Amino acid sequence: MKVSLFIPCTVDIMMPEIGIAAHTLLSNLGTQTIYHKEQTCCGQPLFNAGYRDQAKQVAKHFIEVFGEDECIVSPAGSCVCMVKYHYPELLEDEPAWHKRACGLADRVYELSQYIVDVLKTTDVGAKYEGKITYHESCHILRGLNISDQPKKLIAGVEGVQFVELENSTTCCGFGGEFAIGYPEISEALVRDKAANFIKSGADVLLLCEPGCLLNISGYLHRNHPQKTARHLASFLAENLKKV
Amino acid sequence: MHSHINKFMETARKELKNEQSQMFLMMVALGAPILRQIGMSSFPDITAAESYSRAIRADAIARLPELLEEFEKNAESKGAKVLWAKDAAEANKIILDIANCGGVSYVMKGKSMITEEIGLNDHLIKNGVEVFETDLGEVITQNLNLHPFHLVGPAINVPPGEISEVFLKKGIIKKASTDPVELGSGARRYLRDKFRNLQMGIVGVNMAVAETGTIINVENEGNIRLIKSSPKTLVAIMSLEKVVPTIKDAIYMTRMLTRNCTGQKITSYMTMDTGPKKPEEQDGPEELFIIILDNGRSEIYRDFKTREILKCIRCGACLNTCPVYTKIGGYPYGATYCGPVGQVLTPMLAGIESTADLYRACTLCGMCKQICPAGIDHPSLLLSYRARQIDIKNQKGKKTMQSRRENAMAGLISLGMSHGWLWNFGLKITRPLMNSLAKDGYIASIPMGAQGWFGCRDLRAIPAKTFHETWNDLPSLPESSGNTSKKEDS
Repeated sequence: MKVSLFIPCTVDIMMPEIGIAAHTLLSNLGTQTIYHKEQTCCGQPLFNAGYRDQAKQVAKHFIEVFGEDECIVSPAGSCVCMVKYHYPELLEDEPAWHKRACGLADRVYELSQYIVDVLKTTDVGAKYEGKITYHESCHILRGLNISDQPKKLIAGVEGVQFVELENSTTCCGFGGEFAIGYPEISEALVRDKAANFIKSGADVLLLCEPGCLLNISGYLHRNHPQKTARHLASFLAENLKKV
Repeated sequence: MHSHINKFMETARKELKNEQSQMFLMMVALGAPILRQIGMSSFPDITAAESYSRAIRADAIARLPELLEEFEKNAESKGAKVLWAKDAAEANKIILDIANCGGVSYVMKGKSMITEEIGLNDHLIKNGVEVFETDLGEVITQNLNLHPFHLVGPAINVPPGEISEVFLKKGIIKKASTDPVELGSGARRYLRDKFRNLQMGIVGVNMAVAETGTIINVENEGNIRLIKSSPKTLVAIMSLEKVVPTIKDAIYMTRMLTRNCTGQKITSYMTMDTGPKKPEEQDGPEELFIIILDNGRSEIYRDFKTREILKCIRCGACLNTCPVYTKIGGYPYGATYCGPVGQVLTPMLAGIESTADLYRACTLCGMCKQICPAGIDHPSLLLSYRARQIDIKNQKGKKTMQSRRENAMAGLISLGMSHGWLWNFGLKITRPLMNSLAKDGYIASIPMGAQGWFGCRDLRAIPAKTFHETWNDLPSLPESSGNTSKKEDS
């Protein structure tokens, strides 16, 4: 099976290891990964800021790049939401593009969703002795209705102990431009998230959204440098059992 | 409406540091969703109940003009006088005229957002009619001259000591007390006395039933029941979206409203009035005026995108679950309506240009949309306001240096994002600049732009290679795994 990797800009630039991990996991599960080097960003920052004409240009570029790919998989929920829900909305007035956007929407998956729901796997062959907890990112949970899939993948890790995170479904305060435009409110939210993580007693906080990871790990590095947050894909790939 | 929306962040900063506010907000965030959950669990299927109430509101709004006419016809046939007000000034004038006609020296009011929206109290007081709020929370906010802290509990954040102080000053109680029961019964004794000679009462409306011309109010203190039953003249004022098709719909929406609001299955008091007192009846007003207020809502209705705002039933569930509201409380929103409902409604009432913080101070987390029993997609509305703001900024004649600069930047970013080579070229230039600021692999601050990020957070230095640059070096699958798959360039 061929899978086209949709690597969001935050991953491409700031956290390439998440993209590499996605490639590793998918390859290990017997899929053939493709990567279109012309891909850039889905345009979400422009769209969220209100620059719709400019976002539309980016959407068209994305649609051209990913063309007729059967399965497009991304390790980022909000970017998947952008393509799945906002592209059709953006291109509403251009019938030909709108049709292509709608067609594309059905072929885009979030990584954990793809592994569990399509590849029907919950054990990727990882082993980890320790306590793990999981933050339910807004766009993963409420945007894409994905919650069981990442938890099943965590449960599939040999030796892992899952502990609950209090208020796991509450926003971490990232929100893209929000974190920069409203820093005090954003800080109050990420402070709570970090406090709940520490309270949970877990060694590692896992999540599936690069944006939240930038926010939470940036906060942890400044305020609680001994604590770590990881993208689920990186965590799984790093802890694969040696063959 | 005394707006101070332009002070959003200033007020938010104060509230973030206000221990009293933070304590109450924590209680709201913790308690309200639990109470709601308990209330909702009495529905056999919560999802079905939510779908049902969303369908009722969608249907009511789709048929709004027709339902309003039906409501008017049926209410008038039962003896009520229905008056239409196009804006706040007109509504205030109608109510003052009614008061003057009856020669009343004071009126008593039930809790209502709409009278707050039109600034009725100020108008009446300025024109010599005294106004007594009767909802305990509103008695407190009125006397302390505060905006509502919460849609449902306007004064939940005011500590008993402060209430005691202002009650003493206003003669509501005779002896200082911080006992909530003492304060409550003090206010009751004070208000009962006013009720005795009441000539005119004013209430809002929770639901107006088209098929019967009935107005419905839900409350917990009994003050609205007294206002609706004791005076000679009753004025009910409603914004035009309050109408529902049938009594059955109204009852269902009431069940949904109370559960989402306070978690109650039913409120302590629920009053349904169809016309004024009939000759054979003992209680009720001799004359009933129902004012249907537009105040910008026809404009909201005309636009298919914003129309859905009118589905709102003012339960306040979106506030209790909003990560931003539960950190900053109601004051920063600077107007009658706070939290997500205020964020979608106020920009339409007060204008996009002066309310940017309302639609930008949102993480788009989707909690409000998920919980809304009326089926409003708040994040999508807020995103559309952001786009409207950019459009307005770029209109001919409105462009400023800053908007030109921002627009040019967005255009440049868009250009880069639409060309892979340009994107990667841009990054090659940016990386060394950014990384020159890094120390031990992290950036703790940058000289310009995005300052907000670095107040509490670091940023990892940009790795030496992007995923894009790494791709060619990534290994294909090891032979030993028995896999035949290979990665492919394109």
